[in-house]
Amino acid sequence: MSGEREFEPKIIYFLCSWCGSGGSETAAAHHLHYPENVIPSRVNCTGALPAVHIVRPLIEGADGVVISGCHPGDCHYEDGNFRARRRVALVKSLLDTLGLEPERVWFRYVAHGEGQRFVDTAAEFNDHVKKLGPNPLKTRSDT
Amino acid sequence: MNDKDTTRHQAKRNTVLDPPCGALLPAEDGIEAAFVGWLKEALNRNIFDALLIPVEVPAEDSFAYLLLQDAAILESASPLPPVMPVQGGKAISRLTMRGNGNKRIAVVVRPCEARAAVELVKLKQAHLDNLWLITMDCPGALLLSDYLEDPAAGAARFAKAYADRRHPSEWDREPMRPVCQICNHFSLRQAPVSDLHIGTLGSSDGAVFIIPASPKGERILEDMDMPVDAALDSWAEQVEEAEQTQTERRRQAHTELRETITGPERLMDVFSNCINCHNCQRACPMCYCRQCYFESAALKLPPENYLARAEHKGALRFSPDTLLFHIGRASHMILSCVSCGACEDACPMDIPIAQVFSLLADRAQETLGYVAGGSLEEPLPLVAYEMDELHQVEQPYVEIYHKQEVQDA
Repeated sequence: MSGEREFEPKIIYFLCSWCGSGGSETAAAHHLHYPENVIPSRVNCTGALPAVHIVRPLIEGADGVVISGCHPGDCHYEDGNFRARRRVALVKSLLDTLGLEPERVWFRYVAHGEGQRFVDTAAEFNDHVKKLGPNPLKTRSDT
Repeated sequence: MNDKDTTRHQAKRNTVLDPPCGALLPAEDGIEAAFVGWLKEALNRNIFDALLIPVEVPAEDSFAYLLLQDAAILESASPLPPVMPVQGGKAISRLTMRGNGNKRIAVVVRPCEARAAVELVKLKQAHLDNLWLITMDCPGALLLSDYLEDPAAGAARFAKAYADRRHPSEWDREPMRPVCQICNHFSLRQAPVSDLHIGTLGSSDGAVFIIPASPKGERILEDMDMPVDAALDSWAEQVEEAEQTQTERRRQAHTELRETITGPERLMDVFSNCINCHNCQRACPMCYCRQCYFESAALKLPPENYLARAEHKGALRFSPDTLLFHIGRASHMILSCVSCGACEDACPMDIPIAQVFSLLADRAQETLGYVAGGSLEEPLPLVAYEMDELHQVEQPYVEIYHKQEVQDA
């Protein structure tokens, strides 16, 4: 190995099963690519994503967590995305107060047809996290 | 907070009940004696059927809530005990979880305990319809561990700090728990959820105010033939004054606290001596779950999982998930946190958990425009939502993003 390798973040991408993963399907149909270090994870609805599942990856090895659900008014369960928005606000508030970099959590709506927006979000967040650098919590053994 | 949130916030504050008049209760022999005497009379007159009130335990080294119907036992009650071994909200929840019951029960609690009870009602863990909440201006409580070193001296220290003083500047909050020292919800005006409130601040010598704060409370005073005609200006003035000083103290303490806890390094310094006993969760009135997620099988994993994590992290502390427990627990209950300090009392390792949580709670509740225990009507913030709010958490997307590294895939 020669020199230091470029930092490649590990990113968890939570997608709701209706719009977010639909966006990823559209991206696939259009042969759009997104960074391989972004790991998609499907949840039924972003409104059903517990705050713990956003915090836990950040402690256990992820450098960033991004969440995509339906646009306002489009939620399959009517109001799941509004609830998700409140929960993300709560998590960001907690992380901010504790100085744990709330900017490592992103929340952006992606509709079923928005394949481009899905890959753009993955790529943009990947670049954003690269700039932030490695998450200091993930290498701490005392958590 | 955007403008809309701010107005919502203010509108709520303005509905805070400001009763113009209260009844006067003669208190020549001290506030506690007068209050207990009054409760006794009310019990004898069948104004209520039973009382839930802190009473010193026979061993004289702690206080416990007793549910009693016998006026003789009431003699030894302490409406404002020097410590808070059991959070009153928890006691109320245990009493009324299964329903209202057919008896009228008066409950004597501190303001933070009344606010916890209100949150528990919203969480469907308590019923208040047949309860009468009676609160009082609260000077705080002693740290349980300090008190237990020498209960008699602790009681004396509490009495000396509080005594029968009528002016907030005379209240000595120094011996109280750190989270009590920065409490700004110590009276009725900041937490208008009780039915009757004993106003000691601003009262003249030899009397205290009994303030009706709900129709139920007004009826009690009517049934007790107590005229509600004493002006409360001096009480309101002094509560206001004390609230301002306390809010300023709270702000200052929180600023200092932030400097000691922010960032992974300092945060882990604070939590590193946690022994995973989960006492904070057990003592917390808001942690009502029958099965705590952090004690569930969800976090009990096969050894391969721990080995993989140890490899990533270099090493893995056992028991793992200490930080996850604290942040995760906060995410579960922080919006209902009333800063009562029960968690810090329960911590055997002297982690300033209640202070950290009071900071987290203030900021999280402000973000979502909610005040824990502020009213029974305001819905829980994770149950309700508004369409047009919190746009600061939505990541804007304006145009097609041009990747910095095109060949990533």
